Amino acid sequence: MNRHQYRVAVLFILSIATVLTPACNRKVQPPLTPAQFSAMGWQSFERTAQRSTVNFAMWAGDESRNRYFHTVVAEELKQRFGIMLQIVPLGDTGEAVNKLLIEKSGGKIAGGSIDMLWINGENFRTAKQGNLLWGPFAAGLPSIRYFSGQSRHRDFGTEIEDMEAPWMRAQFVIAYDSARVPDPPRSLSALLEWVRHHPGRFTYPAPPDFTGSVFIRHFLIECGGGAAALATKFDPQLYERASACAFERLNQMRPYLWRRGETYPASPSDLNRLFSNGEIDFSMDYGPSFASQHIARGDFPASVRTYVFDEGTIGNHSYLAIPFNASNVAGAMVVINYLMSPEQELDQMQALGDIPPLVPERLSAEQSALANGVKLGPATLPMEELQSHLLPEPDAEYTQRFQQDWLRKVLQQR
Amino acid sequence: MKHGNKTTLHGAALGAAVVISVVACFPIVLLALRSLARGWYWPDLIPQTFSLRAWKYVFDSSSGIPEAMLTSVAVALAVTVLSLCVSFPAARTLALEEFRGKQLIILLLTFPVLAPPLASAMGLHALFLRLGITDSVWGVILVHVIPAAPYCTFMLMSSFANFDTDWEAQARSLGASPGAVFLYVTLPAVAPGMAVAAGFAFLVSWSQYLVTLLIGGGRVLTLPLLLVTMQQGGDTATAAAIAIVYLAPAMVVLTLVARFLKPVS
Amino acid sequence: MVSEVNSRGHRRIWHLAPLMFTVGLLFVGGMTLAVLQSIGLLPIVGPTHCSFAPYTSFASDAEFRSSLVFTFGLASVATALSAVLGLWLALSLKAAVRHSRILGLILQIPLALPHLVMALFVMELLAPSGLLARFAYGLGMIHDPAAFPELTNDRFGIAIIVSYVLKEAPFIALMVLAVIMRIGEDYDAVARVLGASPWQRLWHITLPQLWPALASSSLVVFAFISGAYETPLLLGRQYPAMLPVVAQRKFMDVDLASRPGAIAAGIVIAVITAIFLTGYMRLARALSAKERALIF
Repeated sequence: MNRHQYRVAVLFILSIATVLTPACNRKVQPPLTPAQFSAMGWQSFERTAQRSTVNFAMWAGDESRNRYFHTVVAEELKQRFGIMLQIVPLGDTGEAVNKLLIEKSGGKIAGGSIDMLWINGENFRTAKQGNLLWGPFAAGLPSIRYFSGQSRHRDFGTEIEDMEAPWMRAQFVIAYDSARVPDPPRSLSALLEWVRHHPGRFTYPAPPDFTGSVFIRHFLIECGGGAAALATKFDPQLYERASACAFERLNQMRPYLWRRGETYPASPSDLNRLFSNGEIDFSMDYGPSFASQHIARGDFPASVRTYVFDEGTIGNHSYLAIPFNASNVAGAMVVINYLMSPEQELDQMQALGDIPPLVPERLSAEQSALANGVKLGPATLPMEELQSHLLPEPDAEYTQRFQQDWLRKVLQQR
Repeated sequence: MKHGNKTTLHGAALGAAVVISVVACFPIVLLALRSLARGWYWPDLIPQTFSLRAWKYVFDSSSGIPEAMLTSVAVALAVTVLSLCVSFPAARTLALEEFRGKQLIILLLTFPVLAPPLASAMGLHALFLRLGITDSVWGVILVHVIPAAPYCTFMLMSSFANFDTDWEAQARSLGASPGAVFLYVTLPAVAPGMAVAAGFAFLVSWSQYLVTLLIGGGRVLTLPLLLVTMQQGGDTATAAAIAIVYLAPAMVVLTLVARFLKPVS
Repeated sequence: MVSEVNSRGHRRIWHLAPLMFTVGLLFVGGMTLAVLQSIGLLPIVGPTHCSFAPYTSFASDAEFRSSLVFTFGLASVATALSAVLGLWLALSLKAAVRHSRILGLILQIPLALPHLVMALFVMELLAPSGLLARFAYGLGMIHDPAAFPELTNDRFGIAIIVSYVLKEAPFIALMVLAVIMRIGEDYDAVARVLGASPWQRLWHITLPQLWPALASSSLVVFAFISGAYETPLLLGRQYPAMLPVVAQRKFMDVDLASRPGAIAAGIVIAVITAIFLTGYMRLARALSAKERALIF
């Protein structure tokens, strides 16, 4: 190569090297520390947050939910606090966690594009372990007094330590068409029997899908001697015993599943399509009002109902958290506090069927009246029935390993 | 209009035309039905109940869909302009001149086209983060130019391959300025190729999903992002409506480009 | 003379620089970072450590091996079908497209449809409770979705292949048609006058002329199918899954330790595709050289 081309080549290589190094921090202030914030006091948060924008990353796969937040919630926030709410739509919470991870490793410690996010479970564990969240903050929110200690203690076994604030409750329910299946199997064992007698009429989404994962977790719990045993710190030997038993039962069920258990629906929406077209007779979801909402949208026939197992089904909470590099922490806290307030929670329950984990005894007379006045959908179980059949989540380590091992032991048969 | 010597279509050609028409139009018909359907179960061949819910939502500004449409169009247009600017001189040089390293450069240009999106998107995200241009429209535009520009370059290269530089030399010897030469000699000669290249750049940008998601960080919302979110959420009617709205500009661009694909007489 | 050469070289650099910056610098930079991440030198969390484990573990991973075979097998079949069908479409419609601009547009509709939408269409069409099945039910041929043959989520990826062919055959047809429009019918007309049969004309005149466009568009299709995950995610199985689907699952895995594996899978796909393409190109060049010898 002649001297000129040599120079060009060197320039090219130098440029590549330059762009590979992290950019020097531009003039963006990192958010204040939690200690500094708690010194400020709640009134000053509301003042600071006036006329600011809050970016809320939430799952946006449902039109009525999107519309509710874009119109009703956004309007209220603007009127009461002067806050502009911007929704950052997610197909999956994992996307937001991914983004924060990459931003953290890339050195973007301030001026982040998300101020708050809707999160729970394994995503929370990843975020907490990766130091992706700002906090602790939940104890300083006025609305926190309406929530139980249980909802603030552990999330899938991970200690919360006030790094996220409780927002909604979820519980696993199974949906069936009462016109096709008048008497659904009321326990896990009864379900196994039913599947054996009705080959090809049942399936579940493939783990690691959220919904499929919680379904198979019921087997682990039953084999492990109950939810309480698995809710404490991870025990490898208990896991070995329980998972061996659980996989044996899942494999016994396998040949009688839809497509002989060789393939599974990839997501809950695929499962729901099979259900509404009558290829299978059951659907399932973490949201107790999912069936009512599908009936309202016309996806499910009006005869669909939901139920839980006699021995109970797994339930959990979902939360709101603040990313480590949020641009508007004060605004995020004001919005989170507002979303947690009983009036707003109950309004959301009426509009979207979301279940608030409010402690009834702590509600005022008016708030209790509001709560009693909420009309549930035709396929939604009453709160008392859900509450009395509630099983806590196992520790996140059990969940993680179990859904990983399912891939080998059940899907791939190795 | 010139009448060809064989205006009758043979049976096979007619059959092919009919088949391709049905096959190509059928998805659109299905999408339209799906977007208007309120529940469409086995064994109905057409939905039993119809509803405008999905379409009302699409045109409602609170859904974010009209804004996403504007964003998608604006980004695609910017990508088209930038890609053309960047590809034009390079295509000319690569088509008309021989030099050491030319084959290497052409090979390098094929990488963004052929690389699997997952691997390249991850790497680009890390890079753009370091450059500080994530979560911005310009970051998204730039990351779209990366796959679009090679397509433009290759299209323009084949245009320039048939270009005779003698025309330019003649114009210059007659006293024309370099600018005039460019405008009145070079550009018209490669205009058809440029139109095709522009169309391709638009479509490449129009169809990007993963990189927009990663680089835009959920702050730059384009139609493909909303389409996937709705589909994953199980709202098939709204997803179908978004898909139809998403098709429209693409078809417009293809129509415009088709004007330039005239046959050689 | 030397200064003229140098100034031409300078101008060349200016002409190429913008393109090389965007594509070369940014893309190569991005891929370098990706490779570094896959070997642990740029970890998302945890300490930096250089480890080729994601790559070496592939050798012993049975899932990876079966995915590899499935991926490139399916990509080859889908590409071959698209190429043959695309060529047939181009040749059958070359006269019709001249007369009817509408037909040309119709041919382009599949190009405007995103792959995800085409996959959804194929699912609606071929699923056991889909349109074809409902049609069969209406004709009284079946009484239950379970009686309809399994074309989606099946072992052979039938629905995946159909979805790709529906999109890529028109793409290849349009690429080939563009060349046909440009080179015209003269050679073919001469050969006809000289008494060559349609088959001889096709094999010795038309195909060699169209070969470069056919080959390059087929290569693009092959590379695309090998690296795309949306279609097989919807229409295929979880095991064996196409490699991009496996990579996507590792990528979305909440466990961060899977991230390097995800990127490594993507890079392996790219490398293997490149090997296929190089081998294919060498073979094609050798074959077409032989072809040229037969004509002249």
